[in-house]
Amino acid sequence: MSKPSPEVYEEGKGMDAHNSVMRDIRSRNDSTYDPREPTRVWLDEDNTPDGVYQSLTIILNTGGCRWARAGGCTMCGYVAESVEGGTVAHEDLMAQIQHCLDHEAENSDEQSGLIKIYTSGSFLDEREVPAETRQAIAETFADRERIVVESLPDFVDEETVGDFVDVGLETDVAVGLETATDRVRHDCVNKYFDFADFEAASEAAQAAGAGVKAYLLMKPPFLSEAEAVEDMKRSVRRCAAVDGCHTVSMNPCNVQRYTMVEELYHDGGYRPPWLWSVAEVLESTADEDVIVVSDPVGHGSDRGPHNCGECDDKVQRAIKDFDLRQDPAVFEQVSCECEATWDAVIERERSYSLPLAR
Amino acid sequence: MTDYFEVHERDSAARVGELRLVDSVTTPALVDDVDTETPGNCRHVLDDAGSRWSTERDAPDGDESLLTVLPHRGLPAGTPDEVAEAFAVDYPDVTFPSAAVISPDTATDHSSDAYVLAGAPGYVGHASAFVDAVTTVRERIPADTALYLPGVATPRNVATLVYAGVDLVDPDRAVVRGTEGRYLTTDEAYFLEDLDELPCACPACQQPREEFDRQDCVEHNVNALAAELRRVRRRIRDGRLRDYIEGQARQDNWLTATFRRLDQQYSYLEERTPLIRRADLSAASDDSLRRVEIQRFAERVTDRYVPRFDDRPLVLVPCSARKPYSDSQSHKQYHDAIKWRAHVVSMTSPIGVVPQELELTYPAQHYDSVVTGNWTATEIEFVSRVLERYLEGTDYPEIIAHVPGEGYRDICERVADSLGQEFTYTVTDHPTTADSLGNLAAELEGWDRYPKREREHNTIRAVADYQFGEGAGDELFDDLSTQGRYPQLRADDADGEQLAALAQQYGVLSLTTVGARRWVESDVPTKTVEIEPFVPHGSVLAPGITDASDDIRVGDDVVIQGDAAFGVGRAQMSGPEMQSSTRGIAVQMRHVDEQ
Repeated sequence: MSKPSPEVYEEGKGMDAHNSVMRDIRSRNDSTYDPREPTRVWLDEDNTPDGVYQSLTIILNTGGCRWARAGGCTMCGYVAESVEGGTVAHEDLMAQIQHCLDHEAENSDEQSGLIKIYTSGSFLDEREVPAETRQAIAETFADRERIVVESLPDFVDEETVGDFVDVGLETDVAVGLETATDRVRHDCVNKYFDFADFEAASEAAQAAGAGVKAYLLMKPPFLSEAEAVEDMKRSVRRCAAVDGCHTVSMNPCNVQRYTMVEELYHDGGYRPPWLWSVAEVLESTADEDVIVVSDPVGHGSDRGPHNCGECDDKVQRAIKDFDLRQDPAVFEQVSCECEATWDAVIERERSYSLPLAR
Repeated sequence: MTDYFEVHERDSAARVGELRLVDSVTTPALVDDVDTETPGNCRHVLDDAGSRWSTERDAPDGDESLLTVLPHRGLPAGTPDEVAEAFAVDYPDVTFPSAAVISPDTATDHSSDAYVLAGAPGYVGHASAFVDAVTTVRERIPADTALYLPGVATPRNVATLVYAGVDLVDPDRAVVRGTEGRYLTTDEAYFLEDLDELPCACPACQQPREEFDRQDCVEHNVNALAAELRRVRRRIRDGRLRDYIEGQARQDNWLTATFRRLDQQYSYLEERTPLIRRADLSAASDDSLRRVEIQRFAERVTDRYVPRFDDRPLVLVPCSARKPYSDSQSHKQYHDAIKWRAHVVSMTSPIGVVPQELELTYPAQHYDSVVTGNWTATEIEFVSRVLERYLEGTDYPEIIAHVPGEGYRDICERVADSLGQEFTYTVTDHPTTADSLGNLAAELEGWDRYPKREREHNTIRAVADYQFGEGAGDELFDDLSTQGRYPQLRADDADGEQLAALAQQYGVLSLTTVGARRWVESDVPTKTVEIEPFVPHGSVLAPGITDASDDIRVGDDVVIQGDAAFGVGRAQMSGPEMQSSTRGIAVQMRHVDEQ
């Protein structure tokens, strides 16, 4: 597999500009975090190829994303949740895991069958999570059914993924692909790898006995609503065609703090996608041979995906329902007058007239 | 090189132009995508070749009947400069009607006929961001190109958008608001459900209120927008858009803030404001004082005008509603008392002070103000400042203030105090009472009358100073003889050769080629248009111009010089517009000598 590095793409002036701007924006954030506590942890239900499980989701604080330190993705504010010094020791990471187990025990009578670990970086990058820690975490969760770990394609190989497969876990690597369109991933998201790298990572995961879950981003900055919808439909279909990629999590962009998206949002140049757009993509790709789910964060708020304010909860419920059942009929049961506005936006909005409606 | 757009009429930054497609479109216009169904009256002439953010785009083929938006990377409001520059698109030089998408950071001449201001929805609603974006872009793109603001126009804001310099808008915002149940008028964005009757006579509104739904609302909104644009085009042609804006912009505070901020961009507006207009100027608010026409008049009276009568007493009189002042009943009565023994200067809001020689000069005989007798603090401040500056440059032996109590007297006392000069007040009760006029006549006892010749010569010279610049009156008209009867005066030299005529309607001079040659030979900077070697008859078009003075304004007399011709005419464009334009009438010729 090719090994794209930040340095290679930094030769491009678009990426230089994005990185320079993002470094500047992020530098305004001076908060630091306790390295012995995870960024976030919560319990939920998730649809997997083996059915629906209770899930324990862990956002591990590993010192933040290395790419984000160079500048990083235009919409991602998770790097803000970093620790001073930039790296987190083995003991501290294990303390974070213990914190999560305690959270689970306090809030649920049963153990979650599915564990999901995200780092806002690459869990499989040994500069972020040492091999020792990775193996200890695999041991800790060896009695569960499934595990999802987040990583950039670069770090997916038999050895890293094998640690989880070998303890008997159904393992998935979550890859923040964002879009199958390289041009959009590079120029709008400022993420450095190519779709071909994702395909290679899927192949490597499969060879290790694991699967891949692709994370897509609906409506990065600079795209019109219609372009964003088209980009997602195409991306779901292309992911579905990749061996080893059995699930796509298609998530609408929200406005996170200390990001370029937030700068645009403040100056009236960005609106998160409509929930109708999410529904449209899920409905139209329901026949693909892949599980497609979506978890709109901050739905109904100005900074999150939203419709008119009247129907947001209704449409959000339909999306969550679709996540579990994969039945496009759920969308036939929601309607609102604001669909006409969404139709007009889809028809009329251009990248030079963003955003046409609030 | 602009091939498909031409400006026909100008009213400050606003223009009536023509998008020269197979079926031409008169701007400012409501334009829409060629494939979009929109109820109401839009011109479906836009063809978007697509965004390069999502995919690489082929070069479009173009179409003479459409305005093709070249493949672009739209930059929304808030895009950091560095990112804007890094992703700037190079546009091909095409042979079909085309528009280039730009933002304030990337705007430059791309040889397109029109320019699309990306991110407009982020600027509209915020006066400073909007004024900054539009003036920056307008200054960076050639004058004879159309500026298109996408996704923002409403019936309420479109007049102000056009006033700022926008030529093309679309119905997108009006449509979207309609789908949201917002009923747009020139004064409001009503919630449809709050309206128990529809305040409109457009076809969409000709139905029972209870049957009127959001789809009808879309249609009404587009109709209202189209109708407002028709009104705006009429206003531009009449030279009266500003009068409308001062009232219309009151319907939304950001619009008022916008035209006030534009007034602060004085050089942007001054460059585009004509020297003279046929139309009247209505001064109905303190905002009128900030108009370029008013500021320019005050500036020229205090900086350029030379007082040639200040060897005799000055009589300050109040203005009259009838113009020119000398035609009014009140001024005729003052004259009967003064009898050419003193210099008469009228005090007025909003103009400031008008020396008798300039009473015809735009806008002195064209303005009409709201008179209640109560002066605002701003008016008092403005007129005081102008009067004080005027008096600083003069040396009258005596100043007689023949003015009524309200406002005028306050100003005189304030200025007298500030300058440490003594004013004699001659009015008791009202300026036209027998007592007052008697006082005035008595005060001038002992002064002789100046002859008609002196009055006429000083008028010609004063207008020359005002129009051509400091010193012009003496340099161009040193050996002067005047013919005709005021206000129809002709200026000849001592040998009877005509130099100029006073244009009664505007109070400016129309030079002959002999007069123009004097201007060229004088030390007064000449407003010159240099042309290719041809002999212009009728008019000079922009492509024939090789250079033009920066300070030429619409309505200025200009000298035309080329290897084949020397002439004089009246500018139809500003100097900078002549320099950057490749289409349109630049000068209306008056006289030309072949050489």
